[in-house]
Amino acid sequence: MTAIAAVVIFVVVYVLIATERIHRTAAALAGAGLMMLIHAVDGRSAFFSEHSGVDWNVIFLLLGMMIIVGVLKQTGVFEYLAIWAAKRARGRPFRLMAMLVVITAVASALLDNVTTVLLVAPVTFLVCERLSLRVGPFLIAEVMASNIGGTATLVGDPPNIIIASRAGLTFNDFLVHLAPFVVLLLVVFVGLCRWLFRASFVYDAERAAGIMKLNEREAIRDHRLLWQSLSVLAVVIIAFLLHPVLHYEPAIVALLGAGLLVAATRVTVEEAIRDVEWATLVFFMGLFIMVGALVETGVIGQVSEAAASATQGRLGVTTMGMLWGSAGLSAIVDNIPYVATMSPIVADLVHASGPRGGVLWWALALGADLGGNATAVGASANVVALGIAARNNARISFWEFTKYGLVVTAVTVGLAMPYLWLRYLAG
Amino acid sequence: MHARDLVTDFPTVTVDTPAVEAARLLAERDLPGLIVVDRDGLPLCVLPGTQVLRLAVPRYCQDDPALARVVDESHADLFVRALGGRTVRECLPQQPRELPITDPDATVLEIAALMARTRSPLLAVVEGPRLLGAVTLQTLLHSVLEV
Repeated sequence: MTAIAAVVIFVVVYVLIATERIHRTAAALAGAGLMMLIHAVDGRSAFFSEHSGVDWNVIFLLLGMMIIVGVLKQTGVFEYLAIWAAKRARGRPFRLMAMLVVITAVASALLDNVTTVLLVAPVTFLVCERLSLRVGPFLIAEVMASNIGGTATLVGDPPNIIIASRAGLTFNDFLVHLAPFVVLLLVVFVGLCRWLFRASFVYDAERAAGIMKLNEREAIRDHRLLWQSLSVLAVVIIAFLLHPVLHYEPAIVALLGAGLLVAATRVTVEEAIRDVEWATLVFFMGLFIMVGALVETGVIGQVSEAAASATQGRLGVTTMGMLWGSAGLSAIVDNIPYVATMSPIVADLVHASGPRGGVLWWALALGADLGGNATAVGASANVVALGIAARNNARISFWEFTKYGLVVTAVTVGLAMPYLWLRYLAG
Repeated sequence: MHARDLVTDFPTVTVDTPAVEAARLLAERDLPGLIVVDRDGLPLCVLPGTQVLRLAVPRYCQDDPALARVVDESHADLFVRALGGRTVRECLPQQPRELPITDPDATVLEIAALMARTRSPLLAVVEGPRLLGAVTLQTLLHSVLEV
């Protein structure tokens, strides 16, 4: 009876999150509260259980990275890079888009996607205005590059953080298994941009000359803060890479990095935590408690058993189903709750699939991360970009985004099929 | 001392007034803001000059102040062109908030409190269905410092 009630609560909250009828944090908290009220989960398991409680590794990794990014964005380094790129492109629209796409994707591999889009969007408006170009195609390309680039690393996209924590995967695992493929995707994506947005590449020599007058050096006011922030970021990345030697969890590295940054710079604690998205962190907590309730009541176990018996001995089909199913669902609902829900099921499937079962984690990550590009509501970064465009009187409609998103998702997820097959399943 | 003792005539605009005209009024008459009135001449809103300015400043420079620094001087001089074709309606705050409007019997302390609360350098003074004029921050400070 408790299990049925837990499923009903879960489904209702999921619908509320997907339809955005109420704020997603409020929905997740209400769901977590109701799960506790019906005794589907208790305080002990919600707060202290490694398997069915709040995943503090995820929460603190996000917190640490949000603080680091909050300081880093005060340095003006992103504005510097984007204007430098525009000048290097000499105002040629496609070259400009290609450079912005690469910068966004690389930044997004280290920072979360929404932050990257928030950083790159304003400077895109400036550059496009000077070149008299429609900003919509550039913003769309950047958002998609951000979602693709974020797929490459453990810290690039919140679903990856959840997967890493639940699967016990390291930063290097993501670098080895996903980053090389993401580089290939990025090259293909730049080529796609040339075709998808071909009508937008109108070159005006006079306006291009105006771009050369922008002074990117002015974007950086505090050089000391810039070098301190970049140094700490470099130390954090090195610590992520040296996990096999140092044995510090990613969350610990991020928190220590955030602490070092605040201690070493003139940035106050208040300034450093100002940009932390507390609502997002609380949303994650509520979500983990809700999923934990399904674990505690045995619902996840039953779903896993059914999935395992239905796919037994057919790892290839299961992998492709996971890839496309995740992409399809992530196109419609936020990929964070989706991955949070799927992770315990995938963990059981991986366990049941034997030594080669780990491919399912990569199928989940690729499907969920790349599927976010399919529609205007597929990923948080998409929604944020459309909001920025509307505020700047450069509205991008749901369908304008989605018509490009479906093509990009079909191509990128389509390429993931042979990649997963050849690397993990063939032979 | 009451609002009726401090009130002076003040120019008004409507929501359909071009933003450029509003900006020119602010500049030529050295005003801290403008009173926006409806068809009946009653105040809809008190618009501080900075709100008109906000419409001219590109949104990307408001979102990211570093970008205002990278624009070269010759191009920066032209930013006010963005007001062209826009009206006062677009300067109005999107969220309803307390209006800096008072009645003629308000004391200087009431006027000062309302100005501070609404962060407005200008108060419209209304008596029944009639706009009497405005009390500016400058007038208020002159009067209280001379007492």
